[in-house]
Formats: sequence, C-alpha cells, structure tokens
Amino acid sequence: MIINSTQSLSLDHNSHSYEINGDDIKLDLRIEESCNVFFRIVKVSSLEVKGLIPAETKVSLFFWNECEQEINACEDFVVEKDGDLSVGYGECNNASVNRKSILTLKGEGSKGRISTASLINCRKRYQIRVINDNVHTDATISNYAVVLKGGELMIDAVGQILNGAHKSTSHQTSRALSFEEGQKATILPELLIDENDVKASHAMSIGRVDEAQLYYMMSRGLDMPSCTKLISLGYLLPIAELIEDEQLKSAVQKQLENRINSLCMM
Amino acid sequence: MKNLEIRDLHVCVEDKEILKGVDLSLKQGESHVLMGPNGNGKSTLLAAIMGDPRYTVTSGSIIFDDKDILKMPVNERSIAGIFLGMQYPQEINGVTNSDFLRAAMNVRRDRPVSLFQFIKEMEKTIDDLKMSPDLAHRFLNEGFSGGEKKRNEIVQMQMLKPSLAMLDEIDSGLDVDAIKIVADAINRIRQENNMSLLIVSHYDRFLELIKPEITHVLVNGRIVLTGGPDLYQKIDQQGYDWIYEQYNIEPEIEQEKKRPQLSIGSCAVRETLKGAETK
Repeated sequence: MIINSTQSLSLDHNSHSYEINGDDIKLDLRIEESCNVFFRIVKVSSLEVKGLIPAETKVSLFFWNECEQEINACEDFVVEKDGDLSVGYGECNNASVNRKSILTLKGEGSKGRISTASLINCRKRYQIRVINDNVHTDATISNYAVVLKGGELMIDAVGQILNGAHKSTSHQTSRALSFEEGQKATILPELLIDENDVKASHAMSIGRVDEAQLYYMMSRGLDMPSCTKLISLGYLLPIAELIEDEQLKSAVQKQLENRINSLCMM
Repeated sequence: MKNLEIRDLHVCVEDKEILKGVDLSLKQGESHVLMGPNGNGKSTLLAAIMGDPRYTVTSGSIIFDDKDILKMPVNERSIAGIFLGMQYPQEINGVTNSDFLRAAMNVRRDRPVSLFQFIKEMEKTIDDLKMSPDLAHRFLNEGFSGGEKKRNEIVQMQMLKPSLAMLDEIDSGLDVDAIKIVADAINRIRQENNMSLLIVSHYDRFLELIKPEITHVLVNGRIVLTGGPDLYQKIDQQGYDWIYEQYNIEPEIEQEKKRPQLSIGSCAVRETLKGAETK
C-alpha cells in the first residue's frame, strides 16, 4: 500500500507493509493488536510518525530508507503497561537525514528498543531519546554505522530514567567504523538518571578498522575493497533480522548487499 | 617451479633491525623447519615474506616463483600461492568463516566457486580437521579457543591450496590429538598439491609427524646453521648452547635480557644502576 499523504493507519494483528511516497507526511499509527510493520521510504521531505503501543501488545516497526532526497523525520512513540516496541532503521541511501526519535516507556513493565544500521556516504544526523517513565521498564538503543568517503555521521543518543522508574534498565551501544582517514563521525552517548535502583550502561566506539585485522584478511588474498565490503556487511546486515516477514527481510538484505557492493568496491 | 629464494634479507621493526642478512633457498615441494631461541627473528622472517606492514625490509630480496614479491602487496602474495598460518590469528566480528573463505577462494579463480561446490568442500575440510560443523557460520575466529584458531588456520590452508605454506608455531595451543589431526592434514595437503612448507616449531613431537627434510637455525637475525632432520632432533635433546659454543656465537637476546640477580635485602635500584654503569 502506498502512503502519499497525511493519514491514520489502523494496525491489527498482522504483518503490514507500506511504501511512503509523497512530500510532507504525518502518520498516526492506531495500533490495535500486536503487529509487524514495514515502511519503505521512497520519497518524502518531511515525515512525522506517532504511535501509542497499547498495554500487552508487541509491535515491531521497521523503516527502510531508499529516499534520494533529504529527509527531516520526527517520530514519537509511547508504550503502555507491559507493551513491547522495537523500532529499526536501515539506511544505505545516498541522501541526508535529520531524524529525531523519542520513545517513552510510559507503562509499568514496558520495553522499548531503537536500532539503526547505516552505510554513510553523506550527512546523517540522529537524535534518539528513550525515556523510562515507569517502574520495571527496559530501554535499549543500538546504532551501527559504516562511514565511507564523504560521509558525516552525528548521533546523539540519550537514555533517560525518570524519578520513580526504579528497577528499570537503560542500555545503549553505538559503533561507527571507517576505513580511511578524513571521515567524520560524532557520537554523543548520554545517560540521564534520576532514580537510584536502576541498571544503565553505554558503549561507544568510533574508529578505523584494526590494521592487524586488515592484514589478516589481505593475507588470504582479499584486496582492500573486498575487506571493506565483508566487514561492512558484518556490521550492518544483522539489522535485517528485525524484519519478521521473510520476503521483506530477504529483499532488504539483498539491497543492503548490493549497496555495500557498489559503494565499497568503488 | 615455485621456488623461494631469499638473499641477504634485512628487516626492521620500529628502527630496530631484527633480521641481519638472511639467506634461504626452498625448492617447490620441500619441507623446512626454522628453529632458534625465542626473539631471534623466526616469526619476523615469515611475516616479512607475507608482507606484514609492521615490518620494513631495508635490503635484500625475496623471489618466489621467479617474481620479486617485495614489490607485491600482501593480497597479491597470497594469490601468488603464499600462505601464512599465523601464531595469533585475528578475530573478526561480523564476518563469518564461510563468507571470508568463499571471498578468498573467488579472488584466485576466474569464475566464482559455486555455492554447492563451496559447501561440499568446506564440510569435508571441517570434517578432516575434526572441527565443529557450525564453524562455517561462526564469526572468523571469534570466541575460538587457542587450539580452534590454529586448526582454523589449517582449514583455510586446505581450502586455499597454497604452493608455499608458512606455519608459525601452528602446533602451540594444540592438544596431543589435535597435533596429530593438524599434522595429518598438512601431510595430506602436501601430497595432493606438492606444497612447500616452511614451519616454525619448538616441538619435536610435531616435527616427527611432519618430518621436515631441512632444518635451519636462526640466531641473532641470521641463519647460522642448516642441516637435516638430525639437527632438529639434536636441538630437541640438547638445546642451543652447543651451537653457541661450536660456532662461537654470542646470543644477543640473552645478553639484552640479562638482569642482575637480586635477593631479599638487596636494593633493586642500586643493582640496576650498577648494571647500567658496567655496560
């Protein structure tokens, strides 16, 4: 189904697949039951998405960006009691992105995960905030990026545990990998904690591939572009596992492989 | 003939000269063992032949299959038929053994290996080396035990079929049964492909299984002695002291490492300073 204008989407207990193809679009996700939703972004300049994940539902949203123009995206999700939301973003397109994602774990026992995988040869900026706003809530942020020539990555990842959200967890991992000097990557991992009885962590790494690893791979006959391709695939391909539908998963894996092939083998 | 000819090879690491004029000839199909005390340049020699960027060849030549391999990048040396089974194989997260090996096989072929043929060959090799069937899908060396890493090097060697295999202490970290499995695989590959072998090993048990025909002893960055299998057997029984005495060699590494003997009650700083004054 093609979405070309602002609308509300009623999502029942099924797998749903949408193509976003318009200019300025606002989406209101009316989630009724547990579901998996795949959004293929073909064209949009401004995208706003908001959704309420009802109590005891499990929802998986995946945004696959193929857009050839700059996107300004703003997403706001709220998860109610014992709800579970996973949001994945896969991007290997050749156009800038400014994305602001907020996920609030409002209900007791709710869970939320935001995962991104990006192959970057232009400017991508992500502001991600996951807020633990009740007891026994679990938040996870994971970002994996391969920054290629001409790429510029900025990730501001915030895990926020509000006062009163005891026995909650907030964990985040952000990793950016580059193969040459001169590529720009900035990651700001933040933990804002206003409660005592919680568990929180952040792991971050930015850097070039280890010389010893490259030497090892090259000692088996692989040239530099082949090493770049293999390592990039290993870094980014796991994001496709978030997609439940096997056909869509396979299509995304194929596209990711083709894109990595074309960018890394240049 | 894919012979290896090394002439007057000098190699530095961070301005320190490790190899100080190595000469070595290895004809196709021959099997050589490189012995010597720790820190005298055995691994450096293998790494320099493979093209490890940490090592700088300051003079000398390495010719393999009539080609000057010093002019070739690492990957081209591999494609030319040189393989180095490393002492400390790297762990690479996210890259599976099968993807890695298939890519490595394809770069040395005109047409890519078919998936069916690759799987068949990989399964047979894993079985030959008595490794876990899930090896193909595991990330390259990640979470492997020391012995698994070494066996995985031999898996790669068997799949890539090099003309010259250099094995740097491939037997270390292997248990008794694994040493036999690895040695059998090496001997089988040698027979099938007329592969030459240049190995570094300290273990007579491994050498007895491989039966190298020629033994070189590398001390102070030079090959000071070359002989037959009796030489590695003698070294196994008597160590290196007789070589130092017989050939009037002053081992530099031991001199460098010599420290004043200290006991409780002596002042370590004073003794060290005393040692420095006498140098």
